[in-house]
Amino acid sequence: QLDHGYALHTAATDCLSSVVSQDVPSLAERTKAVFYTSENDPANHADHHEGRHYSIPLEEVKAVFPHGLPHRFQQQIKTFNEACLMVRKPALELFAYLKSTNFAHPAVRYVIYGEKGTGKTMTLCHVVHYCATTFLLLTAHLWVKNCRELMQSSYNKERLDQPLQASSWLKNFKTSNERFLKEIKTQKKYVWGTRESTEEGRPLGEVVEQGLARVRNASDAVGVVLKEIKQQCHLGSFRLLVAVDGVNALWGRTTLKKEDKSPVSPEELTLVHNLRKMMMNDWSGGAVVTTLSQTGSVFKPSSAYLPQELLGKEGFDALDPFVPIPVPNYSPREFESCYRYYLDRKWLQHDK
Amino acid sequence: MAPVGAAVVAGSGPWAVLSRCCGRVAVPRLFGGAAYSSLPAASSGAGQQREASIRRRGRTPQFVRSHAPPRTERMSVDQDWSSVYPTAASFKPASVPLPIRMGYPVKRGVPPPKEGNLELIKIPNFLHLTPPAIKKHCAALKDFCTEWPSALDSDEKCEQHFPIEVETVDYISAGTSIRNPKARVVTLRVKLSNLNLDEHAKKKLIKLVGERYCKDTDILTITTDRCPLRRQNYDYGIHLLTVLYHESWKTEMWESEKTEEDMEEYIWENSCSQKNALDTLLRIKASENVSNVTKEELLASEVVKNYRNSVIALKNEGETENNMSQYKESVKKLLNIQTSP
Repeated sequence: QLDHGYALHTAATDCLSSVVSQDVPSLAERTKAVFYTSENDPANHADHHEGRHYSIPLEEVKAVFPHGLPHRFQQQIKTFNEACLMVRKPALELFAYLKSTNFAHPAVRYVIYGEKGTGKTMTLCHVVHYCATTFLLLTAHLWVKNCRELMQSSYNKERLDQPLQASSWLKNFKTSNERFLKEIKTQKKYVWGTRESTEEGRPLGEVVEQGLARVRNASDAVGVVLKEIKQQCHLGSFRLLVAVDGVNALWGRTTLKKEDKSPVSPEELTLVHNLRKMMMNDWSGGAVVTTLSQTGSVFKPSSAYLPQELLGKEGFDALDPFVPIPVPNYSPREFESCYRYYLDRKWLQHDK
Repeated sequence: MAPVGAAVVAGSGPWAVLSRCCGRVAVPRLFGGAAYSSLPAASSGAGQQREASIRRRGRTPQFVRSHAPPRTERMSVDQDWSSVYPTAASFKPASVPLPIRMGYPVKRGVPPPKEGNLELIKIPNFLHLTPPAIKKHCAALKDFCTEWPSALDSDEKCEQHFPIEVETVDYISAGTSIRNPKARVVTLRVKLSNLNLDEHAKKKLIKLVGERYCKDTDILTITTDRCPLRRQNYDYGIHLLTVLYHESWKTEMWESEKTEEDMEEYIWENSCSQKNALDTLLRIKASENVSNVTKEELLASEVVKNYRNSVIALKNEGETENNMSQYKESVKKLLNIQTSP
C-alpha cells in the first residue's frame, strides 16, 4: 500500500511539473485509474477500490435518492452531468457488517458520526445505493427542522401533524419502492374518515395513494405504512433498511411553537413519534443506518460531533446498544484522489 | 531671553535650589509676596529677572530647571536594595534602575518609557518585598518565634496528626485604631479522606456543602465570618464541621426517593442501557430457539460485562476516541456481529 501511495504522489508531481500538451494520454490514463474505478455496483466494492470514485447512472439517482442527497452534491451532479461518489473506508466497513447480518436477529443500529463536512451524508448515500436493489428502503431526512404548517392530529388529539412533509415523503417512498408496495398487504382495517377506509389485505400502495390524495391524513398514512412494514418484516419476504439522516433531531428540542406559543417537543409530532418507533430494535429482518448531524440541530454548540453530545441522554438511551462508525477527514490519499477527479473534470484550473 | 536663561542655568547650586523651591509658586506672586521665598535678598533679583523673561515669553510659566542626573546612575550593581525601597512606596522612576516601558503604544511606536509614566505609578508594586528583604524580615521575626516541633518533619506527618488546618489573618496598619474588621475571618480546611465517612455519608456530605468541596484535591473549605470575634468564628466553624459529619451519617426517609438525575455518577445496574441490552440479548436467544436463558446468566457473561464497562466509561468520563472504539468493540461482541473476510 505504501508503494501505491508513493506512485500516486510521483504521478501527481509529474503531472504538475510537465507541460500539459506533451505526454498527456498515457499519464492521464494512468492517473485516471488511480482515482476512478469502473466498478459501478457497490456490492462489489472492496478494499482495493478505496479512495476511488465510481459513478452512479443518472436514472438510478432519480429512483434511489429522490430527496436524499445534500444540496451541494446535487449542484455538482448538475454541473458535471454525472454523479461520482468516492469509496471510503467507513462505507466499506458498513457493507461488511450488512453483508453478514443475521436477519433473524433484532435489527442492528449503526450510527455514523464525525465532524462537520467529513462525509457522513455521502457515506449514508453510498450505503443506500448499495441496498437499493436488495432491500426495501425507508429514508428520512431532516424532518423536524423546517416546518411550515402544523395541524392537530386526526388520530390522536395530543399530537401534531406535518401534512406537507408527510405527503412529499409518501411520494418519494412510492418512487423508490414501487415493487414492494404491491407485494405487501395490510393486516388490519384502517378507517380514514366517515367514507374512506382501507380494508384488510389490500396492497400497501393503496394506503400510500390514500395519503397522497387526502393530505390531511398524510401523516397518519405514514404511520400506518411504517407500522405495517415493521410488523411484516420478520416474515422474510423482504428486508428493510431504515436510513435516517440527522437522527439526533428525533430527540431534543424543536424551534416550532404551538398556537399558544408554547414550544413543541418532538414527541408531539406524529412523524417523529412514528419514526422513533422504527428506531427501536424490537423488529428483525433488516438494519438501521443513521447519521448524526450538527447542521440541522438547534440548541447544540457547533463544535459538538460525538454521539452522546448530539443525541442527548434520551437519544442515547433509546439507540443503545448501537455500533458507532466514525468518519474521519480525507486521508492524504483520498484528498489526492478527489483533487485528481476535479482536475480531470476541469473544475480546478491551472494558471496555464 | 537667551542670556537670562543662560544666567539662570549657569547658576551655581544654590541658584538651582532656589529655582526649584520657588518652582511651585505662581510666577506673578514671586515678587509680590516676599513670604514665599526663603532668600528674600537673592529672590528679588531673580524675581525681577524672571519677571522680565516671563513678560517677554508671554504668560506661560515655564521654569527652566537644571536637571540633576537621576539617582539610578549612581547606583552600584551590588547595592542594598532594601534600603532603596524599605517600605511599600509608589514607583519612582528615578530610583528604579530598570528600563521599563508600560502603556499602549502609539501607531508604529513603542510603549512609553518610565519617566513620568502614570501607569507605572498607579499599579501596586512589590519592590519592597524582594527575597533578600524578606530574609531580613524573617531574621527579625525569628526572635519572636518558637521552635518547630522536630517530630513533624514532613507534610504527611503534619497531615496525619493535624488534619484540620485553621487559617486566620492578622492586620497591622498605622492608624488611629488597631482593630481591623477583616481579622475576624476564619478558614477551616480538611481533607475528606481523613474523616471517617462511608460511601453514602461522603456523597451526602458533598451534596450538603456544595461549592465548598474541591473534587481535585479532596479538600473541604469552610470560611466563617458571621460572628464579630475571631474566637466565635472558630467555634462556629468547628461546630459546622461536627454537624455536617453527624448529619451525613444519618439516613433520612426521603433519601430513598433519590432519582437518576440526582446520582453523581452513572450506575449501570437498573439503567435504560441494561434494560436495552438484556432485551436485545433475550430476543437474539429467542430467535435462535435457545432454551430459556436467565437474566442472571446473561448479566454474568463476559460480553455483557465488557459492554457494561464500556458504557460506564463513556458516561462517566465523557467521550473520547478511545472510549468510542472500546464501546464499538463491546457492542459488536454483544450483538455477535462478525465482519465477513
